[in-house]
Amino acid sequence: MVEQLLRLKLRLLGNAFRRSPWRIVGLVIGLASGLGMALFVVVGLVGLRFESAAIASRGVEVFGALLVLGFVIIPLVFGVDDVLDPRKFSLYGIPTSRLATSLAVAALISIPAVAMAIIGLAQIVTWARNPLAVILAIIGAPVIVATCLLCSRVSISVAASLLSSRRSRDSAGLLGFAALAGFVVVFVLIYRTDWLQNGAQVLSASANVAAWSPFGAVWAAPADAAQGHIGLALLRELIALVFLGLLWLAWRTLVKVMLVTQPQSSEGRNYRGLGLFRVARVSPASVIAERSFTYWIRDARYHASLIVIPVIPFLLMVPFLIIGVPTQVLALLPVPIMALFLGWLVHNDTAYDNTAIWLHLASGTTGRADRFGRVVPPLVVGVPLLVVAAILSAAVYGSFGILPALLGVGLGVLFTGLGLSSVGSARFPYPAVRPGDSPFAAPQSVGTASSLIQSLSFIVTIILASPTLLFAALALFQHGHWAWLSLLSGLVLGSLFLWLGITWGGRIFDRRSPEILSASVRN
Amino acid sequence: MAPKAAPKAAPKVAAKESPKEAATIAAKPAAKPAPAETVLVIQGLVKRFGDTIAVAGIDLAVEAGSFYGIVGPNGAGKTTTLSMVTGLLRPDAGKVLVHGVDVWRDPVAAKRNMGVLPDRLRLFDRLTGAQLLFYSGTLRGLNEETVRTRTADLATAFGFEDALGRLVADYSAGMSKKIALAAAMIHSPRLLVLDEPFESVDPVSAANVTQILRTYVDAGGTVVVSSHSMDLIQRICDHVAVVVHGAILDSGTMADVRKGKSLEDRFVELAGGRTSVEGMSWLNSFSD
Repeated sequence: MVEQLLRLKLRLLGNAFRRSPWRIVGLVIGLASGLGMALFVVVGLVGLRFESAAIASRGVEVFGALLVLGFVIIPLVFGVDDVLDPRKFSLYGIPTSRLATSLAVAALISIPAVAMAIIGLAQIVTWARNPLAVILAIIGAPVIVATCLLCSRVSISVAASLLSSRRSRDSAGLLGFAALAGFVVVFVLIYRTDWLQNGAQVLSASANVAAWSPFGAVWAAPADAAQGHIGLALLRELIALVFLGLLWLAWRTLVKVMLVTQPQSSEGRNYRGLGLFRVARVSPASVIAERSFTYWIRDARYHASLIVIPVIPFLLMVPFLIIGVPTQVLALLPVPIMALFLGWLVHNDTAYDNTAIWLHLASGTTGRADRFGRVVPPLVVGVPLLVVAAILSAAVYGSFGILPALLGVGLGVLFTGLGLSSVGSARFPYPAVRPGDSPFAAPQSVGTASSLIQSLSFIVTIILASPTLLFAALALFQHGHWAWLSLLSGLVLGSLFLWLGITWGGRIFDRRSPEILSASVRN
Repeated sequence: MAPKAAPKAAPKVAAKESPKEAATIAAKPAAKPAPAETVLVIQGLVKRFGDTIAVAGIDLAVEAGSFYGIVGPNGAGKTTTLSMVTGLLRPDAGKVLVHGVDVWRDPVAAKRNMGVLPDRLRLFDRLTGAQLLFYSGTLRGLNEETVRTRTADLATAFGFEDALGRLVADYSAGMSKKIALAAAMIHSPRLLVLDEPFESVDPVSAANVTQILRTYVDAGGTVVVSSHSMDLIQRICDHVAVVVHGAILDSGTMADVRKGKSLEDRFVELAGGRTSVEGMSWLNSFSD
């Protein structure tokens, strides 16, 4: 059984290589970045060998605990398409324990497992200081790998069973919001810490917590032994082993429950009338806009993006705050960043429709109407949001003279981004989360192609909007008419790019719509 | 893009000009055209997926006013063919003419005359049933008033009045099929291309749908329908084409193809698919 599942996992991996060249590139880059990160950690761990045991232990404990915690949190927040979901084996009548073991072992064939194995081996080097430390570190290596893998198995399965009905998946956006709110709290805490004065203290306090937590205990045991605390070392090793045992029981129970639980279907509420379809005069472009807006309101995938928009500027401020950039200057950041993300939001909108796009093909909808309809919701949401944000930003900055520049940058970047997205989503749709799936679930085939398109759409937007950005920058330093010039350039250039994007994207859609549908069928 | 009232043979009245005509859905106010026009022409249609040839050169002519069935085993290329006919999948070679217009040269004009029900493609399922019908109708260029009356008529005819306010995502498989079928005919097209329209539809609804389609055909409309239910095709269609391995083995009027046998027997004879059931004796000695 174990052998069969290992083979299945290898075969799935092998088949992934046989699909498209982009996917191979994706896999190779995934492997390279996973191993690269592992190598980076290995260098750190080996380097710590030459530090004092006390300093090394703090670093290893905090970092190690965070690594293990990552295996719990990442699947919960972002979701992972589980190739070896226990439910897929429910019809084969395999005894639970055997299935649970086999699935856990098969999880060894994955990039994170390989990376953790390398890191587990490297921490042996860090603790090559006395015999007991070495022994505990050697025991620790497989325990670390097993703990991480079981954590992620349990976490993935919990996420999968919690999010099995459509309604709960739809409310997963709230879960994501909670996670992001958590980040903001952490960010405030980090910001309020005076790192130069209390940094060491904070680190040792967190190390103390991490070492006693089940996530950090396995890393702490050899560290204690290296410092001569033998009793403490054995106690923490015990904590780590008990935690591993509990994880195993949890995993086995989950497999057992999941094998007999069917996803529930819901009846759903009743809507009256035509909703948003009553707003505008009827034309293909207007109904596509109304349909698109309805999706922004009803579809969890759009909620997730919308929730992220106001939070992102603050997340991006963190590094600047840490290096001591004054708040007055940072107040200028949210408007361009939100504009950039709003414009970018729809760069893969066509793929969000999945195969439902056939209706636009079968009805002979023009590409222009299709493109136009899709940029209406971000415009309707974005323009008022950016105007309000610009006014607030100018107020915090302390001078309303900068307001025209902020408006110019905000609207210019938004329009330009939407124009670019109109072209991009027609020419380069890449696999997106399928309708009804958890908004944080990444499609299995997501690879480099998508990240390339994602980063390119950011970069090209910035390049196209650079005149406006330049005028705004000049307005900051030289005052006067530059701010108004920035507003003018933002509106004129932005509208031009939006119009060009819709026209050009529409032509591409007219020409390539069957290929867009074929791509979505493969997704 | 308003529906153009430019019928050559059948004097079809465009929706925009007389919305009242919608009262009897899918029924065209015209008599049968005198010389039957060939409303759908398929010539040398080919589609390859990598090394596999899904459709290997299909030729077919469907006359106006016929109820044309396409039968074939799983994987015969029925869906691939119909996708190419309806402009959803680009053919590698060949030509499709709908009412004289090339689907792949002038898609906008050709698609105006077609109503499509594809198999296994999603619907915009975050819309309610009423919204989906409204969306389909207005994309086809109907005005609001026409869409409203037709939605009400279709809901009565297909029996989903109670479900119009629910999200299509919450529909059962059969319900989704019915709403998609309704969306395919809301603009009263000249030709209906339906891929597996009766799959997972209950018998009562299937009978209703058949009745609606028959009225439509009697009024001069044309239906092309694929299925692997031989009984159904034999019962409702007047023409049939047998597709196996991406090629047409026989086609023509139902009587010509059947040659006095049941369609199912004739099909098995043509496809040669019936394998001997010997050597399966292990299935009769149950393992524990």
